[in-house]
Amino acid sequence: MDLEDDIEFSNDEEEITADTVLKTLQSAWQNERLAPEILPHRNDMVECMLGQIQHMERNINKLPKTDLRASIHKMELSRIKFIICNYLKTRLNKIEKYCIPILNEEKQRIDSGTNYLTPSEYKYAQEYLLNLESHLKTVVLNKVPNNMQTFEMSKMAVYPNLQTHVFLQANETVNGVVLEDIFGDQDEEIDLEEGSQHILQYKPIADLVKNGKVQLI
Amino acid sequence: MDPYEIEFIGENRIISIIPNFSYDKIYLICGEFGPFRAGLPLNVPLWLAIMLKQKQKCRIVPPDWMEMDNLENLKEEEKRSRFFTKMPNAHYMVEAKLILGAAGDDIPNSAEIKTIIKDIWDIRMSKLRTSMDALMKSGGSYGRLDHLTMMEINSVKPLLPAAMDDLLRIQMMAKKPAPASLNNSTFSQSGNSQNV
Repeated sequence: MDLEDDIEFSNDEEEITADTVLKTLQSAWQNERLAPEILPHRNDMVECMLGQIQHMERNINKLPKTDLRASIHKMELSRIKFIICNYLKTRLNKIEKYCIPILNEEKQRIDSGTNYLTPSEYKYAQEYLLNLESHLKTVVLNKVPNNMQTFEMSKMAVYPNLQTHVFLQANETVNGVVLEDIFGDQDEEIDLEEGSQHILQYKPIADLVKNGKVQLI
Repeated sequence: MDPYEIEFIGENRIISIIPNFSYDKIYLICGEFGPFRAGLPLNVPLWLAIMLKQKQKCRIVPPDWMEMDNLENLKEEEKRSRFFTKMPNAHYMVEAKLILGAAGDDIPNSAEIKTIIKDIWDIRMSKLRTSMDALMKSGGSYGRLDHLTMMEINSVKPLLPAAMDDLLRIQMMAKKPAPASLNNSTFSQSGNSQNV
């Protein structure tokens, strides 16, 4: 049987990336779990990994059920699937919670080609908002006096708290992160050395999370 | 994040096992491991080691840092230092718990090792609580926490970030001239404390 070759081949082909893809995915998952706002999607990584999983599963099915390799591969795939599911679920939760601001910001981002949501996530967000609106209308708004019937989007919006404090580890040295002083006159600058860990407000380091210079922990 | 998720992340660490079976190399997505030769040590991810151990297909080689002498030194140093010392392993608690839980019979002195690791954890947690207290009292919104492991950091969530959020909210309400020390404080016991 060519199974052994098959597995070997698939891995040789992806050898440069499979492990890197997994690591990227894991750090994206960790960041998404810990950041207050939605982060740019990593659909490329998810798709790539799903392809890899499918390929692996086809190969595992060719192995006898009792083969030790089969159970090891299955275990690894379950671990990866857990990361992917949890990652996507976390994003959906954020999309539902911060639906209105995310949609507003996303409209501008799509124009400039820097969208954070995947097309299907975007569709999900739009439909979620429509459903929310029609639900509120049928349940309450249509039954109250006329002058109170409008669905005021801006009053419904829930915003993520960007000033919340987060823990992070610097992947590379970043100098001169400005910590805004709330009283506006004594801004402070700090340096994040490679490998050092800090707790600080999310807002000043939001961009560093998005471009991978720091990892939330 | 939940502790089990931190454990999940820690399970990716590589440790050494001695298998009691022989097998060719296995090509996983996270890398290739093997070949397995009965009686010869090789490196595998922790999750795989635990799984093989549970199937009674290997012995786990205790990592170097998990030796009594090393741990004694570590504990002494942790006691002596005002700061957090660098741990030999970024997931020491996870690794110790999993290895000692699944493979206690492979580790000499496992009971003593368990106790001393717990002691180290306790010393560090009490330092962490003292630093948190100092940070909050100084009204700081920034702290440096080098050498703390993920599990330790996670254990003060959501308390510390939430308290700092609330403090910030109160300060924003008050909006009166700040004491000079505001934002200046660092975690007094963490690493080199001159960061600002």
